[in-house]
Amino acid sequence: MNMMNPECLKIRKEILKISKATGHGHIPSCFSVVEILYALYDTIRHDPKNPSWDKRDIFILSKGHASLALYCILSEFGYFDISKVYTFGQFESSFGCHPDRFKIPGIEASTGSLGHGIGLAAGAALALKINNDLDRRVYTVIGDGESNEGSVWEAVMVATNLKLDNLTVIYDNNMSHARGLQIPNPKERLRAFGCETSEVNGHDLRALKKEFKKAGRNVRAVVAHTRKGYGCSTMVRNHYEWHRKAPSDQEFTQLLKELDEKTV
Amino acid sequence: MRKQFRDTVLDLAKTDKKIVMVFGDVSVYLFAEFQASYPSRFYNIGICENTLISLGAGLSSQGFIPFVHTINPFITERSYEQIKLDLCYNGFGANLISCGASFDYAWDGATHHAYTDMAILRLLPDIEVIQPGSRKELDILLRSQYGNGKVTYFRLSDHPHTIELPVEFGRAVVLKEGGSKVTVMTAGPMLENVLEACRDLDVNVVYFHAIKPIDQDAIRRFRHTKILVVHDAFGLYEAICEVPDVSVTYYGLPDKFCSWYGTLHDIRKRVGLDSFAIRERIRRKIQES
Repeated sequence: MNMMNPECLKIRKEILKISKATGHGHIPSCFSVVEILYALYDTIRHDPKNPSWDKRDIFILSKGHASLALYCILSEFGYFDISKVYTFGQFESSFGCHPDRFKIPGIEASTGSLGHGIGLAAGAALALKINNDLDRRVYTVIGDGESNEGSVWEAVMVATNLKLDNLTVIYDNNMSHARGLQIPNPKERLRAFGCETSEVNGHDLRALKKEFKKAGRNVRAVVAHTRKGYGCSTMVRNHYEWHRKAPSDQEFTQLLKELDEKTV
Repeated sequence: MRKQFRDTVLDLAKTDKKIVMVFGDVSVYLFAEFQASYPSRFYNIGICENTLISLGAGLSSQGFIPFVHTINPFITERSYEQIKLDLCYNGFGANLISCGASFDYAWDGATHHAYTDMAILRLLPDIEVIQPGSRKELDILLRSQYGNGKVTYFRLSDHPHTIELPVEFGRAVVLKEGGSKVTVMTAGPMLENVLEACRDLDVNVVYFHAIKPIDQDAIRRFRHTKILVVHDAFGLYEAICEVPDVSVTYYGLPDKFCSWYGTLHDIRKRVGLDSFAIRERIRRKIQES
């Protein structure tokens, strides 16, 4: 039985409900990062009442297709009411299937096309260093499938060469890469590219928070081992089928049941 | 023109602490004085053009004014998505400065020839695309546009013209106007060849230093004439074509790779962009009209 945090369970249920209500998905990708995002927002310096607070840490969701998870987390932390997210993906909604920084408080960069987040985050981290803003950090979450992109590794090389010790890259190792170009040893690769690396259970809030608080002498890369669809055995077993799918009434009931049974 | 880029930026940096230089391992030595004066705002990040743009966008997101610089096809074609998304879509302003315009690096072959840059960049929302033809144009336009919060592309050439012109962003310059039925429109260093070609011909001549925004008023002024666009790149012709009710013909590059080496002048001559061939084309246009 998993030991899913009650807030994270609630957020997963919210993701399911919104997906069912709107017909849009990426649920397995969202489920793999719920704890990562929850731990982040429970650790970093931010102010939901003042999203552009000049002392805030900066977070960029490079794997922008997990936007629904981020919206639910931001709502949980007080950025906006969750009812607004029930317009997810609709024509004039602020809440698209990839996040838009001009439409949603707390979104630092609009993302969606994969392989852009580390470069953007590195630039922001460099800016903080130039400003001697040493108390602030920059975080980005990238996916393992996303890390097929050459631009990911190019940006990692640049960031470590610049010794951006105020940058943490969280590598969501949810095994979505397994069907195509496989990256069997992300920690070794990130270390070879100059990062200070660690591995963590990506569904363990306490372990994640501990990693996110760490600072070293270069870019920190946290390889978070996760399961795509974590919480629902149906999605864990069939995450390719569920990648972009929204549940039917029957599937919705089944998925909620699986979440409550805590079998995965 | 790169020296002018350096001199202007050095001058701007005296008072603007937000300027950050980001190089793709090009022109680094040229900016030694900037590096010595402002080491915390000088970065040669290496030969990685995608990250060059993304890093610039990240710097911009925190209020800096990045100047991102490397060779033309690599900063534009290779990094097009980063320019589109990280800069334009995100609204993170930056100055993109390319070197090696058109066939400046003719001897390096087709991998280093650059003629699509302005045509593709002008399609991106709210970007500014500038082709300064002379050092003076670069100096004035850099100063007027660099800090406006937009994404601005400056296309530098190693072969600037030396013709003295009035320079104001977004305003074309009418160099000849004699009531002719034919108007030659051009941009960039080509101007020298064009003026030589039509020095005693009965044509109007209009010169653009900005491809976007294009001076539509100047184009409309000549829409009763047959317009011949003479340009050693793409982008200007397409921009002019967007003005309603104009009759425009392109005279410039062929629909094939210019897979020769030599010099800029060798390639211009081969494709018919030397002053003699341009003159012949304009004469034909006059006869047709």
